[in-house]
Amino acid sequence: MAVFDTPEEAFGALRPVCVQLTKTQTVENVEHLQAQLQAVSDSALQELQQYVLFPLRFTLKTPGPKRERLIQSVVECLTFVLSSTCVKEQELLQELFSELSACLYSPNSQKPAAVSEELKLAVIRGLSTLMHSAYGDIILAFYEPPILPRLGFAVSLLLDLAEQEKSKQIKIAALQCLQVLLFQCDCQDHPRSLDELEQKQLGDLFASFLPGISTALTRVITGDFKQGHRIVVSSLKLFYKTVSFIMADEQLERISEVQPKPAVEHRVAELMVHREARWVKNTSNKLTILIKKISECVSVHPHWKVRLALIELVEALLLKCSQSLVGSAGPLLKALVGLVNDESPEVQAQCNKVLRRFADQKVVVGNRALADILSENLHSLATSLPRLMNSQDDQGKFSTLSLLLGYLKLLGPRVNFVLHSVAHLQRLSKALIQVLELDVTDIKVVEERRWNSGHLSASPETMAPQPWSPMQRRYFRFFADERLFLLLQQLCQLLGFYGDLYLLVDHFMELYRESVVYRKQAAMILNELVVGAAGLEVENLHENHIKTSPEELREIVTSILEEYTSQENWYLITRIESEEVGEELTMKQSGLQAITSGAHTCQVTSFPAFSQPSPTICSMNSNIWQICIQLEGIGRFAYALGKDFRLLLMSALYPVLEKAGDQTLLISQAATSAMMDICHACGYDSLQHLINQNSDYLVNGISLNLRHLSLHPHTPKVLEVMLWNSDASLLPLVADVVQDVLATLDQFYDKRATSFVGVLHALLAALEEQSEPPKADEHDPGPDVAPPLPVQIQIATHVMERCVHLLSDANLKIRLKVLDVLDLCVVVLQSHKNQLLPLAHRAWPSLVHRLTNDNPLVVLRAFKVLRTLGGKCGDFLRSRFCKDILPKLAGSLVTQAPVSARAGPVYSHTLACKLQLAVLQGLGPLCERLDLGEGDLNKVADACLIYLSAKQPVKLQEAARRVFLHLMKVDPDSTWFLLNELYCPEQLTPPHPSLHPVHLRGITGQGNPYATNVLRLLQELQ
Amino acid sequence: MSGMAEKDASRWVYQQPWPARKMTAPPPTMAASPLPPPDPQFVLRGTQSAVHALHFFGGARGQERPLLLSGSLSGLVHIWSLQTRRAVATLDGHGGQCVTWLQTLPQGHQLLSQGRDLKLRLWDLAEGRNAVVDSVPLESLGFCRSSVLARGQERWMLAVPGRGSEEVQILEMPSKTSVCTLKPEADAKPGMPMCLELWQADSSPRPLLLAGYEDGSVALWDVSERKVCSRVACHTEPVMGFDFDSQKARGVSGSAEKALAVWSLDEQQALQVCGTHELTNPGIADVKIRPDRKILATAGWDHRVRVFHWRTMKPLAVLSFHSATVHCVAFATDGLLAAGSGDQRISIWSLYPICRDASTPLLGHAEGGEVGAHALA
Repeated sequence: MAVFDTPEEAFGALRPVCVQLTKTQTVENVEHLQAQLQAVSDSALQELQQYVLFPLRFTLKTPGPKRERLIQSVVECLTFVLSSTCVKEQELLQELFSELSACLYSPNSQKPAAVSEELKLAVIRGLSTLMHSAYGDIILAFYEPPILPRLGFAVSLLLDLAEQEKSKQIKIAALQCLQVLLFQCDCQDHPRSLDELEQKQLGDLFASFLPGISTALTRVITGDFKQGHRIVVSSLKLFYKTVSFIMADEQLERISEVQPKPAVEHRVAELMVHREARWVKNTSNKLTILIKKISECVSVHPHWKVRLALIELVEALLLKCSQSLVGSAGPLLKALVGLVNDESPEVQAQCNKVLRRFADQKVVVGNRALADILSENLHSLATSLPRLMNSQDDQGKFSTLSLLLGYLKLLGPRVNFVLHSVAHLQRLSKALIQVLELDVTDIKVVEERRWNSGHLSASPETMAPQPWSPMQRRYFRFFADERLFLLLQQLCQLLGFYGDLYLLVDHFMELYRESVVYRKQAAMILNELVVGAAGLEVENLHENHIKTSPEELREIVTSILEEYTSQENWYLITRIESEEVGEELTMKQSGLQAITSGAHTCQVTSFPAFSQPSPTICSMNSNIWQICIQLEGIGRFAYALGKDFRLLLMSALYPVLEKAGDQTLLISQAATSAMMDICHACGYDSLQHLINQNSDYLVNGISLNLRHLSLHPHTPKVLEVMLWNSDASLLPLVADVVQDVLATLDQFYDKRATSFVGVLHALLAALEEQSEPPKADEHDPGPDVAPPLPVQIQIATHVMERCVHLLSDANLKIRLKVLDVLDLCVVVLQSHKNQLLPLAHRAWPSLVHRLTNDNPLVVLRAFKVLRTLGGKCGDFLRSRFCKDILPKLAGSLVTQAPVSARAGPVYSHTLACKLQLAVLQGLGPLCERLDLGEGDLNKVADACLIYLSAKQPVKLQEAARRVFLHLMKVDPDSTWFLLNELYCPEQLTPPHPSLHPVHLRGITGQGNPYATNVLRLLQELQ
Repeated sequence: MSGMAEKDASRWVYQQPWPARKMTAPPPTMAASPLPPPDPQFVLRGTQSAVHALHFFGGARGQERPLLLSGSLSGLVHIWSLQTRRAVATLDGHGGQCVTWLQTLPQGHQLLSQGRDLKLRLWDLAEGRNAVVDSVPLESLGFCRSSVLARGQERWMLAVPGRGSEEVQILEMPSKTSVCTLKPEADAKPGMPMCLELWQADSSPRPLLLAGYEDGSVALWDVSERKVCSRVACHTEPVMGFDFDSQKARGVSGSAEKALAVWSLDEQQALQVCGTHELTNPGIADVKIRPDRKILATAGWDHRVRVFHWRTMKPLAVLSFHSATVHCVAFATDGLLAAGSGDQRISIWSLYPICRDASTPLLGHAEGGEVGAHALA
């Protein structure tokens, strides 16, 4: 580009325009010069620098009014020259500095002259360029005391511009120029490192400007948010760079108390500042006020870059001026930790980075003063915390708690100084307890029930891969924002991590015990303290901090666990009366009538039925939550202890399993997820695996609790849940407990049959699963000695004995369950006829009663037992069935048929109809299974034929049709005949005329009520 | 000591022998009377066979949790961790024959097990090993349990039922050299030895042997002299088990009959019966005094374990849990009581916590609570 590479050529080209400009000072001439300059190489221009500068400076210095436009173009041209060359002479630098500064000087006021924005910008740029072009050492020579007045003038000019101008561009340019002037420029051209002396020299000089700069910048920073974030960011930068330079501890500690006599004229000497201790103290006090203002204002600035700059400010000031600005440390730290949970991830990250850096460099811990300040801050925050939690909205709470979190992070292990003060610990815990109060008015919590009896609802598919199961949604009285809860969790974890765990656990345990009002919150806090202490979710900023040892943690967890699962904290009233009693009561009242098809209908609505003062919904709700939180705690403990938790399973698993069988949905869910947490922590693949591997612990608890059934009424339920969720491998273990169960059942037939029958059901289901097919060698027992019976046969025998008694229990539910158990007993005992038959014999009368004289549901269930029995010992059953049962059933079917034929649509809802239906449904399969003889089959057929009439209710017709389908399989011919006798669709023509025509009695024709059903059945036969 | 006392104990079932400040067994809610029966702290299951021998091992110096060894009818020895409450190892060395006696030696991790297969096995249990390192053949098929006198020296003494039906054989171990055979005088006819205990008074270098016999008598033998120092008839039925408190020179024995006998040894080494304590049901299979000599426990054929105050013989508790004969009881140095039964279960009880008293040097384990021990002194 350059056309004139040598000074000679360039001189030739520049001389005319320079001369021209000197003669006539017009914008055009300046532009000519500038145009020519474009063609001159930098090196050539350097040679001709003074020559070229002359006309420009001459123009500026010419007295008299000048047009702004001209000055502007001169300044721009000057700037161009300076940007391409170096200023090598001290004098030139000073003169240019003054001349440029003067362009904005208004002789009448202290304010900058009212000139155009373009000119202002040009001058600012010119100054900035000038300072950059100063060559090497002369720049330091420039910053000698004599320059003070002129430099001060420029600085105040620029500050004015930064503060007063409307144009953002000018403001920012002014701020950047100030940065350059104050030797804090970020650009690469400056000599970066100054030695101690140089630093001191500059510091001494700039100290004079500190009041002006800091107050002006504070005004800018704390100004309107709308002024744009870049201005605030630049001001913040300038502020901390200047302050941290002038107030740097490193510089100040080398300054002697006595001011050396400055070798300058008096006027300048007056401006000089000596940074001795008193000055530092005064300045620091004033700065503290400003810093406080700034941090308060900026920490809530809407723009994240501003908040980011605040972090830089804190970092710079705390790192460089921790002694000189010790008074500001409080607000600075507060500003920093307050941003620890900033909504902007960049700010958060930077904040954590700085915190980590502080920790690494022991800025706080290594510095008593700072640590004291921090502790003091925490003290005062703890003091005001309860009030703040009471009065602030969610956002306010969030920032307050964030602040608390930041203090904890920064203080690390030193947090104990605060915790060891009883008053402060109390304040802190009170606030936490208060804010964590749950809302317990939701009635659904109490209402929701689970109904599947034993299988835990968390099957393997819900064994999600996450380290622990998601928490149940809970509602708090004093906040709605989910983030607040997460924050509180973090807080407690951090406390657990750094704090004296024994102290904290003791304290919150005391609160837990003190009142039911605190209990849930205290438990939540304890849960998180333990997780925190394990250090699993805490980022440790303090490397030398020693975590709680696994043994200690286990010990602590053991004691909390003991408290959680103690009689008075684990067995809380969560529903009105025991469900069982309630149900039994309902059953008795309603007798046999009101059995709806769904036996599992929720009956919680019957509150008023009970006259005794009942616990309020709220207190039950609260109890449910407490149990859930404690269960969740057990899961958290498992998470915290990992494999170590296995040692606690002997005491923890039983109570959890107990709750897994609870009828309150929320509790059972919480228990199940606690068990999954345990699985994850201890390395079990599934709940079944967990239960199987630890069944010895469970059995131990069950057998001991069975001894005090009135104290532990849920014991059978635990055994039941265990049995449903484990396999046969634990059978040897439970053998003795089964004996205990049976013995206890014998003792409490009347009161606790329901729960025990559940256990027997689960037990037999487990036995059935593993009952092996009959062995071949079984027919060859020794001549005298019968081999000992296998355990499962012994158990099944004992259970079946009990079933005989329970078959006639007054409670419908029990009768139904017992029939199921009986059914399973028959299956298990099928290959041991010597045991089965005598028992079947004993059960028979009662079974007959169930079939002929009980609720339809029972009838159906009894038929199922008969079918099973028929499959295993048909001969035994056939004659008895035909003798004891068939006549009665057939009789009742026949007598009831005319009633149902006449009845209206409502009839199908009556008990009588349901009974008819049950008998019809049961008869068919049983007849087929028992392989009845012709006579008995006819009895059945006769009784059912009437129900093929179209006059019967549709359901009964269907059932009757099905009976005949079964009969067809046993004896198709006679069934065909029988049907044709009822309705004969077509005249049978003999295959040969010599044969007599057959006339069946069935009446052909439209009027036959049996036509439709018989036709359908005959079609099946073809 | 009458039947009345026993009845009282049954009604009260669980009486506190001294004002207790802290109890581990009963939950706090049970402070009010009537006291419910105490429960085992836990129950060990899985021997799958009747339990005939129990022995606590380790934990004395508090360096590790003690282990419990159990010997079963099916010939297995189970090693139980009391921390996990699970069997950590099973030793099979008696060919399926009942294990009747278990004893560890003070030096090293060595275990002696006696089986009805007429073998006495010496096991090495150090560092998780479980190997038979030596074995002593026995010649008596009785139920008599052997006894060991070992004081941390290289050589130790073993008393086993001998070849002749009334004999006791003394062996020097580990060389298995027969030292002597103790045979009652021809006219004594005490029947078979039923239980043995070798001991040595602190003041004297002479080893002594206490032996309970089939005729219900207990005899004190001077092993070096091979002669009976004293013999006293304690029971009318065979002595099934006894324990001897060498500090108080007092012993207690149980037999097939309905009474416990307490006897003492005077300075002239003469045995004399101090008293008998009537029981409700006959048959005591085993008697053990707790290492701190405060209480004793008996294993009853009536499925119960009874606990007595050792000094006064006041009945303290009747522990009913088992559903078959209790064959053996054992105390750990920290006071834990174990009972093994024909119902294949081992119940572990924590009853009256041992106080950390300097006068009971055996109790190194630091778990006991603080009970006002003065009442026992």
